[in-house]
Amino acid sequence: MALFPLTSNFEGDFVLQLVPVDTENTMDEVAAAAAVHSVGRRVRARPGCILRVRKQGAEDFLPRTMKVAEAGFMPTETVEILWEAAPH
Amino acid sequence: MALLNRMDWYDLARTTNWTPTYVSDGELFPAGLAGDYGLPQDAWEKYDEPYKQTYPEYVKVQREKDAGAYSVKAALERSRIFENADPGWKSVMKAHYGAIARGEYAAASAEARMMRFSRAPGMRNMATLGCLDEIRHGQMQLYFPHEHVSKDRQMDWAFKAYDTNEWAMIAARHFFDDIMMTRDAISVSIMLTFSVETGFTNMQFLGLAADAAEAGDHTFANLISSIQTDESRHAQIGGPALKILIENGRKEEAQRRVDIAVWGAWKLFSVLTGPIMDYYTPLEHRKQSFKEFMEEWIVAQFERALTDMGLELPWYWEQFLADLSETHHGMHLGSYYWRPTVWWNPAAGVTPQERAWLEEKYPGWNDTWGQCWDVIIDNVVDGNMAKAYPETLPYVCNMCQLPILGTPGKKWNVKDYPLEYKGRLYHFGSEVDRWVFQQEPERYAGHLSIVDRFLAGMIQPMDLSGALQYMNIAPGECGDDAHNYAWAEVYRAMRAQRNAG
Repeated sequence: MALFPLTSNFEGDFVLQLVPVDTENTMDEVAAAAAVHSVGRRVRARPGCILRVRKQGAEDFLPRTMKVAEAGFMPTETVEILWEAAPH
Repeated sequence: MALLNRMDWYDLARTTNWTPTYVSDGELFPAGLAGDYGLPQDAWEKYDEPYKQTYPEYVKVQREKDAGAYSVKAALERSRIFENADPGWKSVMKAHYGAIARGEYAAASAEARMMRFSRAPGMRNMATLGCLDEIRHGQMQLYFPHEHVSKDRQMDWAFKAYDTNEWAMIAARHFFDDIMMTRDAISVSIMLTFSVETGFTNMQFLGLAADAAEAGDHTFANLISSIQTDESRHAQIGGPALKILIENGRKEEAQRRVDIAVWGAWKLFSVLTGPIMDYYTPLEHRKQSFKEFMEEWIVAQFERALTDMGLELPWYWEQFLADLSETHHGMHLGSYYWRPTVWWNPAAGVTPQERAWLEEKYPGWNDTWGQCWDVIIDNVVDGNMAKAYPETLPYVCNMCQLPILGTPGKKWNVKDYPLEYKGRLYHFGSEVDRWVFQQEPERYAGHLSIVDRFLAGMIQPMDLSGALQYMNIAPGECGDDAHNYAWAEVYRAMRAQRNAG
């Protein structure tokens, strides 16, 4: 358990933002923490979509249950938060 | 007694490169202050300033300029122009004075470095007058806003801004400290006078004076015009120095200095001038878009200045031209959304008519920045103001110190340009900002951006109140919407009509 700063690059938003998370947070929780500062502020919610996390430049999303401590992030590293159609 | 004509004695009078006997050449011109370009002394003596003026001529002309600007101010003091001005125009004045006035005093110090430490006698002469110019600009741009301080606390930032850690001021100081306060005399002549003043501020002041006249603020228009006439003279200090460097095989070093300074100036312009021209200026007073202004006055003129000099266009020129349609929209959206952290009241500038103008000038605006504004507008109309203000910090660039941003909405292209250096992760807003850092990493590596300071625990408590306290923004000085959200009424009416239908 430790506070860990990440930089959020949220799909559809215009600016990178500082998002403090916890090393025990999952990627779903990271996405939710990032959404607080973008969705409903400058980005419309997308019903039927979930949010996924990937490292900048990566093609694949990180597993939804992966913890911050397991992802190998550097403090303040930029993560991209993207919309994905919700699994049925 | 008949006086000699100026040109009969000017060259002789400024031949002041004597042979020192009490000190060594290195003591007279220390490398850190004079520059260490390895050129022989006689190369610098060929410096030929294009604008020759003697001290008596200078004093006579300056006295007349001062008399003109101050008399217009005195005549219009009771005109209530300030009280009756559009709030967007007041924001232009506040942003301008805060960002510029005290920087003029800093520029006087930079001119003084050229005056004392340049090896070129002609440059020393021009910079003597340039230094006096900058002192005059500092004095005027503090005296003129002072009459408004009792009416509006934000006007106090004309003096106060430079001493604060307000984020835009950190950005301005970082840039000016880099190009004019911590460089040798020759670099200052290239980076400040040639790159920033010839390239940007000279033209910017012309445009601003025209905008002021259009807005009916003749005091401000006269002030700015008066300053611009000095600027157009002392901006010519760098040209002959560049010529000497190029003729003596130092083009690469000269070009690098130009490339660094032009990019930094562009980024500052994108946050200070872009929003003013495309959002704060009332629609009926807009003559050109920011992009059109930049293309006509800055790009065309500066391209000519560079090629005339024998320099290349900066390597990032295509990127710069593309950014003219994008960067300042993000800077505006950022300074508006984080408005409590600026010392002026940003005008939103997004009524349906204004949006139509933006769409015409920047095709695709509604599908990109417009999408972010749609959400902000909904929140304002719904009275959901908690969502119309921020709850975290934007990540800022470790070079320009401005938010790292890009195009949102359907053309989302926001990207970080990171760099790990000696174990620390730096973030940059563009390839060019990162390139500037890489030219001389140790010069910049120790600086902490506002976000770095927050993460280091220097801002307490770690929330908006702590941030405002750190930035020295007192109650009553925080920025908010320039028109108190009156512009949202039309959207409220449109929604009521839609609901009724």
